[in-house]
Amino acid sequence: MIFRFLKPPRMSPRLHRLKSSSLFSALTPLELKIVDGLLHERRYLKDEIVFDEGEEGQALYLLMSGRMRISRLHEGVTQVVAELEPGGFFGDLALLDNSPRNAQARALEPCEVAVFFRADFLGLMDTDAVLGYKISLALARHIGLRLREWMGTGRPQLEAL
Amino acid sequence: MSPVPGIVNGPERAGPVVWTGIVAATCLLLLVVQQLLWLFLPFIFGTVLYYVLLGPMQRMVRSGFGRNAAAVWVCTLFFTLAALALALALSWSDGPEEDSWEATIGLYLDGGVAFVRTSLAMLEARFPILAEMRLTSTVDMAFTTYTNDFAQNHLGDIVVGVMTWVPSLLLAPFLTFFLLRDGVRFKKFLARAVPNAYFERALYLLHEVDQTARRYFEGLLKLTVLDTLVLALGLWVIGVSSPLLLGLISAVLAWVPFVGSIAGCVLVVIVASTDAPGNPLMAYGAIGVFVLVRLLDDFLFMPLTLGRSLHIHPLVTVLMIFIGGMLAGVVGLMLVLPLLGVVMVIGETLGTLVTNPRLRARHRYARALRTRQASVDLDIARERRGAPTPNGALNAASSASSGATAED
Repeated sequence: MIFRFLKPPRMSPRLHRLKSSSLFSALTPLELKIVDGLLHERRYLKDEIVFDEGEEGQALYLLMSGRMRISRLHEGVTQVVAELEPGGFFGDLALLDNSPRNAQARALEPCEVAVFFRADFLGLMDTDAVLGYKISLALARHIGLRLREWMGTGRPQLEAL
Repeated sequence: MSPVPGIVNGPERAGPVVWTGIVAATCLLLLVVQQLLWLFLPFIFGTVLYYVLLGPMQRMVRSGFGRNAAAVWVCTLFFTLAALALALALSWSDGPEEDSWEATIGLYLDGGVAFVRTSLAMLEARFPILAEMRLTSTVDMAFTTYTNDFAQNHLGDIVVGVMTWVPSLLLAPFLTFFLLRDGVRFKKFLARAVPNAYFERALYLLHEVDQTARRYFEGLLKLTVLDTLVLALGLWVIGVSSPLLLGLISAVLAWVPFVGSIAGCVLVVIVASTDAPGNPLMAYGAIGVFVLVRLLDDFLFMPLTLGRSLHIHPLVTVLMIFIGGMLAGVVGLMLVLPLLGVVMVIGETLGTLVTNPRLRARHRYARALRTRQASVDLDIARERRGAPTPNGALNAASSASSGATAED
């Protein structure tokens, strides 16, 4: 009873879904539970806008279900940057600073997303360095991957995420 | 097609209309607080304790404890230690004492009165004009009138007042426990009520309100610790009894601007003059120490702790303290700044949200989408025209079956 806290928590289907995202794949069940406690649930209808290009970013969005389109305005023409499937995440640069969003996110079908607020992430970095480091490393890898893709394929729109 | 960035982010700074609303809301809240003080004061103490205990509790949660168990452990440990410290402080006193607490209070009051009389006599000896004005006898008469009636007229009220407040103040530990256990859930509950278009800004607003309150209360606690230590050191140097306890009481009294500091000074002088009845220099020394600590507090400690916490213009701060005192007395003096800080954050953020045309347009669009989704098979115009609706076949089948049932 007293040492119950030493046992790892059971992985619920929701924790499994979080674990399947590359952002949280390195986390232990306990760490996933801590992160899950910080996430906010939102639901968007088809065609609803999650955030606009140029808007001040405050949070990262993890797609739990549905599909999301990321697009940006380039020389007056709207370019589709990516279409994300469940497990993908977007708005990740907002975890680093509050610079304006580089693209618009719009739901292609009814979506369920988990929102990770920047202040919660920074608080986590302050109080739980190991957990913060794991998420930061995953984030850095993700940004590095996008940079490599951009350099390799010459697709200028990929930095927009 | 994306909108222009200027429209997306809206105006950044709050204008005069928003600021008028902020000041008006703060004044209104002060009046409400004054009426609901029995609830608000424990809430304030509960919030202060919540911010004190949040760090240890988060560490326990991250080491694997559930929120409930961590809140129970942290609260139990803290309140046990606080009760022990209080019992120790009350039992440990090296000052003069009588058999009962009433007699001890009387002893200290007599000590204070004697100090005032001695000081007035010294002043009369030095300035003959004061002797001609019969200053000592006038003050003496006022003291006698007040102290003779004190026990009959005021002591009972004070005791009843304290007894009324005790149950209310006992709410504070409960509030602390529930804030620790359910604080995150409550924050999520509030965020859930916000429409999608305003969600990110609302999260930021909640965070800023939390940070403002946290900065203020943490600053207040740091200030109290600094004041206590410096005052205790000064009183210990000049030889006043129980310097740490006196320092702590004076520092807590200083939470009330102006009035609290004077009350703390009077308390210290009474104790010093009772400790050394024949030596008024000790009481003068205590006044000197108090003034020195106040100066340090105003020019060094407060700018280092509270000054940085609220980011309010000094002129607005002073004006609001006066308005707070006028509207809600001592309570207003004490609470006007934290209230203004929180209302300022809420007002400024709501001001930018309400005046942001893009967010409003997105919200209208999302509402239209929801309405369309909710009424997808409820096209009344189509029904009137007799055109088939998406559920028309189903309805026809169901009416046919009910008709068949009726025929049977």
